[in-house]
Amino acid sequence: MAEPWDMSKYAIDPELLPWLDMLPLFEVRDATSLAEVRAGLDQMRDKVTPYEPTHPIDIRDEVVPGPAGAPDVAVRIYRRADREGPQPALFYIHGGGFIMGGLEMADLYAIPIVDKLGIVVVAVDYRLAPETPFPGPVEDCYAALLWTAAKASELGIDPARLAIGGESAGGGLTAGTTLLARDRGGPALCYQYLWIPELDDRLATECMREYVDTPMWNYPNAVFSWDSYLGEGKRGTEDVSPYAAPARAADLAGLPPTVVTVCQFDPLRDEGLEYARRLSQANVPTELRGYAGSFHGSTLIGDAAVTQRAAADQLADLSRGLGI
Amino acid sequence: MTEYAIDPEIVPWLEVLPSHPLRTYEDLLAARPRISEIRARMPVYEPSQPIDVRDELIPGAAGEPDVRVRIYAPPNTRGTRPGLVYIHGGGFVAGDVDMSDSACLKYADVLGIVVLSVDYRLAPETPFPGPVEDCYAALVWTAAKATELGIDPVRIGVAGGSAGGGLAAGTVLLARDRGGPAVVFQHLGVPELDDRLETESMRTYVDTPMWSRPSAVFSWDSYLGEGKRGTAGVSPYAAPARAADLSGLPSTVVMVCQFDPLRDEGIEYARRLSQANVPTELRGYPGTFHGSGMVTDASVSKRMAVDELEDLRRGLRITSI
Repeated sequence: MAEPWDMSKYAIDPELLPWLDMLPLFEVRDATSLAEVRAGLDQMRDKVTPYEPTHPIDIRDEVVPGPAGAPDVAVRIYRRADREGPQPALFYIHGGGFIMGGLEMADLYAIPIVDKLGIVVVAVDYRLAPETPFPGPVEDCYAALLWTAAKASELGIDPARLAIGGESAGGGLTAGTTLLARDRGGPALCYQYLWIPELDDRLATECMREYVDTPMWNYPNAVFSWDSYLGEGKRGTEDVSPYAAPARAADLAGLPPTVVTVCQFDPLRDEGLEYARRLSQANVPTELRGYAGSFHGSTLIGDAAVTQRAAADQLADLSRGLGI
Repeated sequence: MTEYAIDPEIVPWLEVLPSHPLRTYEDLLAARPRISEIRARMPVYEPSQPIDVRDELIPGAAGEPDVRVRIYAPPNTRGTRPGLVYIHGGGFVAGDVDMSDSACLKYADVLGIVVLSVDYRLAPETPFPGPVEDCYAALVWTAAKATELGIDPVRIGVAGGSAGGGLAAGTVLLARDRGGPAVVFQHLGVPELDDRLETESMRTYVDTPMWSRPSAVFSWDSYLGEGKRGTAGVSPYAAPARAADLSGLPSTVVMVCQFDPLRDEGIEYARRLSQANVPTELRGYPGTFHGSGMVTDASVSKRMAVDELEDLRRGLRITSI
């Protein structure tokens, strides 16, 4: 494969540079390239060395009622087999630009977290765009969250310590689901974790306009992602729901304490900063972290010091937010 | 006071922190000794090794008086070590090197670096450019005397908090634009960067503890001189947010507090540095306000202190201690 990215343009952390070639080339422009990228994701997953948990972990799948008139939703529940009684829990929403990924992707995240923190993770297998555009995906997340809260005692979850979190599009869906929970009087959430979230369909921030060729995520991918999620012709128009693009929400007051992370060379950087700034202004306890020299998904490169710092911060944030 | 979601561990300390905004020169004259009193009540850092502390008078900018600096040097066991030019805060109008003794002792002790704290002249008695030129003179002197001081000349950083963060950013811009000393790292803690006072946090935080819009108005009017604030003629070396080009600056960490009117200008400076390809780290802490780190027992303050040391360690390329 030809050198896909001109890295001389970006001051990427030197420890990340050698790994750029091994990262999947995400270029989603149309149905054909989406099919290729989805297939490539499966191949990459097969190449990833599985995490070896140091504790026994029970993993089970459930099918839970979907939104009104919509199909059931699959969820996967991860729990340390050696933990008795109610545990804090993270409701987890995987990433993938609204258009790819699934519970296998959630496995990669959830198993190490459950192993290290002893919490329960409930991951949701929401339907993907463009086959299912908004509001299907976020309504699936909300339905699964409702079920999780309702079944807390059965699942061994401490309902006062239920947090929600996700990465990339999963971060956007997390923010949308949390807004739904606030506005519908839904389950109480003790924290929301928005890791490099995809929040704004308007694509008007400086980094979104300029980062047209950054690795893993860039302006052309974002265009396809939002066109898939909202449907053609909706992106940037007036009738985009804040539950689809949380940056559109006029009022962020009353949301749970929030952590927002951003990566430096990520077109999502500025919308993450702005959401954190607005949450701060709305009196929501808000933690913000931006990592130097990083890019969208550079945390896949586990050996780099910046990745290890971000991972340590994430564990510390979860521990603090979940009262561990 | 408006209800701010201040960290519950900090709330009980609100009463003992100075809350009266600076609005006039008389307020300032009353506040300057109060700052010393508060400092006297703060715990003093106890170094784990003897730190050599001495004051020096160094040459100021051309035609300007000498500048007093305080040098903190740990025992030099490993040849050269990094150097840090530290610039205290105080809204450009208050504070001195005594104020940051504890912080500088800690940096020298824990990080094994030489710290040089600048006793720059204060506004309004000395408005811009005097204060930032004093800081720049200290940076130039540090680099020139690196060998004598046992400092590795390629590992000199600049750090400061509040107005000191703004002066640090201005000093580093001067170093870039004058072809001055190479700076490897800048640490901008809750920096005061923008005289325009137009951000949302600056417009709305009129009664936040420790720093608020009225204090900011007084601070900039003192530093720039009456009638200059927000006009077209303000230098980027006074208000670094005015700098049109942030490229070519050293690796940067920007730290902001949630209920600080300076929050948004800090975020925006970090955003623009990021966009300018400068390796930039940004940290914002929930439930905090300007100077809430003085409440050292609160867990969020402890996290801030740990992060700051880690950031300095990484920024100054300290590989082991």
